[in-house]
Amino acid sequence: MSQATETTIVGTSALIERLLKGQFICRTTDEDGWRALKSPSTREHVEQYLNQINRTIGSAGEGEVFFCGYQQIGDGERKVISSQFKDICNALIPLVEWLVLVQESSGQDAPLSEGVAVRLTELQTRIEDTPAFREQLAKISHYRLFGSTSTNVDAQIKLVFKRLVDLGYLTRPNSEKQIYIATGKLDYLYEVIRFIDETEGLSLEAQAETATQRDLV
Amino acid sequence: MSSNLHQAGVKLLKQLGRHAELVMDVYLSGSVSIDESNASAVDKLQKSDILWRPEPEAELRLKRSVRALLEEALSDERNRQIDSNVGSSLATIKTLADHYKEARHNVDFSASEAYLADLNEHVYSFADGLRYSIRVLWSRINNEFGYVGSINAKIRENELAQSQVTELLNGLEMFQFSELAEIAGDTRELRKLLVTTLQETLSDCTQELSVVQARLLELLGRFRQIRGRTRLLKGWLLYTDLHPDYRPADHVSHKQLPALFNIAEPLLAPAAVDVNNHSLEPELLEIVSSIKRIDRLNDLGTQREQDVSVSLSQTEDFDIPDNPLKLAVDGYFCAVIDSGKSQSALEYLDEQQLPWDRESWLYQVICGYEGLPEEHRRYFELEPIGESDPVYTGNFIIKDVELWLA
Repeated sequence: MSQATETTIVGTSALIERLLKGQFICRTTDEDGWRALKSPSTREHVEQYLNQINRTIGSAGEGEVFFCGYQQIGDGERKVISSQFKDICNALIPLVEWLVLVQESSGQDAPLSEGVAVRLTELQTRIEDTPAFREQLAKISHYRLFGSTSTNVDAQIKLVFKRLVDLGYLTRPNSEKQIYIATGKLDYLYEVIRFIDETEGLSLEAQAETATQRDLV
Repeated sequence: MSSNLHQAGVKLLKQLGRHAELVMDVYLSGSVSIDESNASAVDKLQKSDILWRPEPEAELRLKRSVRALLEEALSDERNRQIDSNVGSSLATIKTLADHYKEARHNVDFSASEAYLADLNEHVYSFADGLRYSIRVLWSRINNEFGYVGSINAKIRENELAQSQVTELLNGLEMFQFSELAEIAGDTRELRKLLVTTLQETLSDCTQELSVVQARLLELLGRFRQIRGRTRLLKGWLLYTDLHPDYRPADHVSHKQLPALFNIAEPLLAPAAVDVNNHSLEPELLEIVSSIKRIDRLNDLGTQREQDVSVSLSQTEDFDIPDNPLKLAVDGYFCAVIDSGKSQSALEYLDEQQLPWDRESWLYQVICGYEGLPEEHRRYFELEPIGESDPVYTGNFIIKDVELWLA
């Protein structure tokens, strides 16, 4: 009995630590933590702890991604949030272009989402073989978010992937293999875009549809 | 009559067997064109109504019934034909039941038996057809409509499957068991067929169809989500291309902050061990002491010795070669005896240009002195030269030793 409670405490302590580090918890990055937050009792436990330091658990992507937010928002917190929002907005265009590049170069129907694996070497060959993709990659890697100055595809793509791992959009489960897995933070990104789309009434989906229909005609 | 039918059937099947390759080629490619090599075979198959020409100029195709047989037997996933025409099966069953009852009423046993057999055949084939349809639906769901490429095609396939399920369910609703029970009356055979068998089949199938429907809806939702995301990304790119100056509005300045953007600043920085911090020493030592070294690389060579013959022989002479450092220390002692003067160990080391490390040299000299037999040691005097530790009292740091004859 005491053993069981002990492991829960140890488990949530790691989880709380990750939340306070500003990490996104999803099934891909931390399955145990994700499970713990999915269960109402442990979630309540963590929430209570975080509340003491004015933090709360936020979630996105239909409750599949968790992150740490402020419980009470004063002026100081608002400043932090505003600067973070700016960061996200600045990252949107490079990230969206990268997502479309990955989807188009691998010829898939579905854009990357949580749990989908990307094989860097395969992707690299495909991009190297097609001049349009190469140009696109060069453009993406020169954005400030990635900040590459290289003209070499290999260096560009490696830097982009490394930055994405640092930013938490990808994880690399085995450091000896060039296989990356998309995390729940990407699902969060989709939600941000959807939010902007809906609140500003951009009707992005409808535009894309008419564009594809025009292509078909 | 029936023996004729039998013979004709066997002939047809044999013909199918004989031209199996050709039939499968047509099945896979959809149609066949006549050339010299297959002209006679095609002709024969056409005569026995296995191949047919839908239009005068069109190419030859397999008859629907043969195609259906192959699709079913091979569980071909491309097959998406579902016979949802429950109404006509129901009508046939009712009609046959009426025939059977009339024949029984007229005490025409041979006719009534024939009708009953026919009825059996119809009821069973109806149940089989229903189950088959469900199986086809499942196989399409299980590979997520993998036989079409794009998401849009998958969505269309899913919608087709949904409409088929709805039709099947509507058809099944037409079965009124009170009516069937009335038709069956008190005839045992009819009751068994029309009420028991059919009811079991129908309740099974309805249940399964509702599961199928739920799965289809779930899949459709997922497909739409994927399509929605793709469009969202494309739309975003289009929009930002058209409006290069576009910046998202400041959504976090509202009084009511969207929960989505409420992300706290990281509170904990990534941790690392500071090996230079002395206060952590006990913890670090504890961690280090718990590290186990498992060396499998060198382990490979050791093999258990088995069945090694042991021979008992005279112990051979062996000698342990003297350590050269020890020999050099002996030389130092002899030099002190020869000169009769006191000499510092390090000075001797430098004079003789010996290759030893200074510290090991000192250790070996002290050891050499301590290791002498008692009566020999009395001839020497060893004086350590050094100083006390500036911080910790009671510690004496030896910098050099001096040896002379007592």
